[in-house]
Amino acid sequence: MKRINWRTRVALGIAALIVTGACTSPAATPSSTPRPTGALVTAEPAKAGGLTSDGKVLVRWFVGLGTGGNPEQLGAESAAVAKCNAPDGPCTKSNIKLALEVYQNDVAYDTLATQIATRNGPDIIGPIGVRALNGFGDQLLDLSKYVQAKTLDTAGIEKNLVDTYIVGGKQIGIPYAVYPSYMYYNKALFKEAGLREPPHKVGDKYTMPNGSQVDWNWDTVAQVAKILTVDSKGNDATKAGFDPKNITQFGFDFQWTDPRGWATAIGGSGSAVGADGKTAQWPDNWKKAMQWYYDRLWKDHSAPTQDYITALAGGNTFQSGKVAMDFVHTWYTCCIYPGDNTTPVKDWDIAVAPIALDGKTTAKLHADTMGILASTLHADASVLAMNFIMTQPDIVVTYGAMPAKAADRKAFFESLDKKFAKLNPTKVDWQVASSMLSYTEAVNHEANLPNFLKSDAAIKQLQSDMLTNASLNIDTRLADLVKTLQATFGAG
Amino acid sequence: MMLTLARRESLWGVAFISPWILGALVFTLLPMGASFVLSLTNFDPRYPDAVQSVGLANYQRLLTDPLVYQSLGVTAKFALVMLPLTLAVSLGLAMLVNNPRLLGRSVFRTIFYMPAQIPIVATTLIWQGVLNLHTGWLNGALAVIGVAGPDWLNSPFWVYPGLSLISVWGMGTMMLIALAGLQSVPTELYEAARIDGAGRWAQFWNVTLPMVSPVLFYNLIIALIGTFQYFTQAYVLTNGRGDPDNATLFFNLNLYREGWRYYEMGYAATLAWLLFVIVLALTVILFRTRSRWVYEGAAR
Repeated sequence: MKRINWRTRVALGIAALIVTGACTSPAATPSSTPRPTGALVTAEPAKAGGLTSDGKVLVRWFVGLGTGGNPEQLGAESAAVAKCNAPDGPCTKSNIKLALEVYQNDVAYDTLATQIATRNGPDIIGPIGVRALNGFGDQLLDLSKYVQAKTLDTAGIEKNLVDTYIVGGKQIGIPYAVYPSYMYYNKALFKEAGLREPPHKVGDKYTMPNGSQVDWNWDTVAQVAKILTVDSKGNDATKAGFDPKNITQFGFDFQWTDPRGWATAIGGSGSAVGADGKTAQWPDNWKKAMQWYYDRLWKDHSAPTQDYITALAGGNTFQSGKVAMDFVHTWYTCCIYPGDNTTPVKDWDIAVAPIALDGKTTAKLHADTMGILASTLHADASVLAMNFIMTQPDIVVTYGAMPAKAADRKAFFESLDKKFAKLNPTKVDWQVASSMLSYTEAVNHEANLPNFLKSDAAIKQLQSDMLTNASLNIDTRLADLVKTLQATFGAG
Repeated sequence: MMLTLARRESLWGVAFISPWILGALVFTLLPMGASFVLSLTNFDPRYPDAVQSVGLANYQRLLTDPLVYQSLGVTAKFALVMLPLTLAVSLGLAMLVNNPRLLGRSVFRTIFYMPAQIPIVATTLIWQGVLNLHTGWLNGALAVIGVAGPDWLNSPFWVYPGLSLISVWGMGTMMLIALAGLQSVPTELYEAARIDGAGRWAQFWNVTLPMVSPVLFYNLIIALIGTFQYFTQAYVLTNGRGDPDNATLFFNLNLYREGWRYYEMGYAATLAWLLFVIVLALTVILFRTRSRWVYEGAAR
């Protein structure tokens, strides 16, 4: 038999390295549904004056700045547009042609900016979240007169939610969908650890393993999270032999949230800008919140750091089934069981937000709205069309959005029950989600800041540092952040 | 009037390359001109009516912007690690798969080249898994031999070797070019060297290296430009933030952030011009020094 020479052995070794690399699972788990990029649907070009070739008023609806850009949502959006444009539809009756433009979220911002730059902006934009509004909010039409005239239907929406969209004295949007936050928890992991489940009503106590009744606050979360954090040898984080380098299960995570979100949930309401609108700050309750979370990351090891987050279902940590508690919003129902190739979290429910460090139960709130660009040539027609879109029940269901109108929520929760019926043995206690609307933050954690895009980036840098750097001094780092924010505010 | 043959041929030549000339004018020169004009403004696409000429203010800002220096430093550091590494490894691999004593040469050439065909985003996501501190197989393999693997992606020091590994894995194209260079070296030169008593190292140093130096020069220029345009891997790994601690804030990533995250298109255009000038200067320097280290045959 021919002997393999050293060159061939070296080549075999290199080939093995190359092939092994290629065979490794990617860090991010791809969705089972291939997602196209770029424009999914584009509107027909308008004639001069924003009219169609047959003389109708063209109203362009731009989707993609929030939810709405997924291929599976196109059907409902197209159906709503067709309904408005039907011979007996409200658009046709008012000589309007509603046109849909849908973009994937990753290109939607640039596309809209380009359209505005070329003076070819759409009329209606949305759904759009608070953060995205900060990028384009000052381009939006003041809808106050339409709300007062009831051309826009706000009946059944809590006033505090409507007022969320008064920015700079202008009503720039109408709440369409709300997403309060609360604690998702993995029942199986609690059961395995012999722990009681967290409370479903604000004010209820939590029963610790020793039988004592304690407040459901973030100190309690910290203690419970340690018990639920386990290494590869089965030691939990309270044991002396616990190995933080080989953790297989975590007690707690803040999935897909940034430092203002962490600070608000843990510390209570606050703001990174002072009442004068130009002084940078990081309030004391937020400082304590940052230290609390940093201790969970690097001292208790009960919350996953960046390397672990990447390894847990590509960042969808609760879905991985290896995180016991996760503080997220209602929209997270989108992302449990996203694909056939992932191992789902087996049995889960939701619990109320813990009492924040300032003594108040605080639920972060995300909200989607629709708005109209101030550059529209046909404000009245756009308002009519937008009102029609916002009152279509199929649309709100396809967006997985908790309706801002309380009366519509029952159907929404029923649709979620249907979705999870076969996959989750527990019927989720959705009243928790509704109840959290009474405890929303006093200042939205995504509220506008001077020079928003750069200020937001500076805050995101803090997030990266906290998740990747084990030797931060939080007080010093926050002092640096305030300095950076002040300089950024001034440069805006 | 009768055209001379030479004139006629010239006109036909121009006619044939006119699509390229047109393309270069419309899709390269025109955007370059537009970009230069933009660099003299404060253009933000969200506020087209507010655009104003700012003169050379954007160029002045370049001089005082710490992120410009930081991103240039990051790019230079990465180039210092990356360029020698990729040139050496691609030549080494090419020599290996060029050796007649290697069994299954074609198979190995294919395997070594294959990663170059994988889209960069997919490659990066794969390597994000490979290099994970806790679950990556690289650190797993190191642990087997008792070495604690570093945090390849979250350490400001180790992130450069980490990114270099990703680049080395996908450098099949450079290997192929080096292989083509090796195959064009006349075998008589090796025979002559052997007759003169040259060993393997002497043959490599005195025959192979000079003869493939034009190919290495080409690879160097391409790799240099690629390094200054380095973007996708850093963007995918850090979601465009330049983590950790701006250690992956490459020049191109900084440019992207200014233009497409912060919508400061005027300033981003200025950064693009700075990038152009730097790459142009480095390329000119390399070409000017070429005669000192690139063997170009007896004609020179």
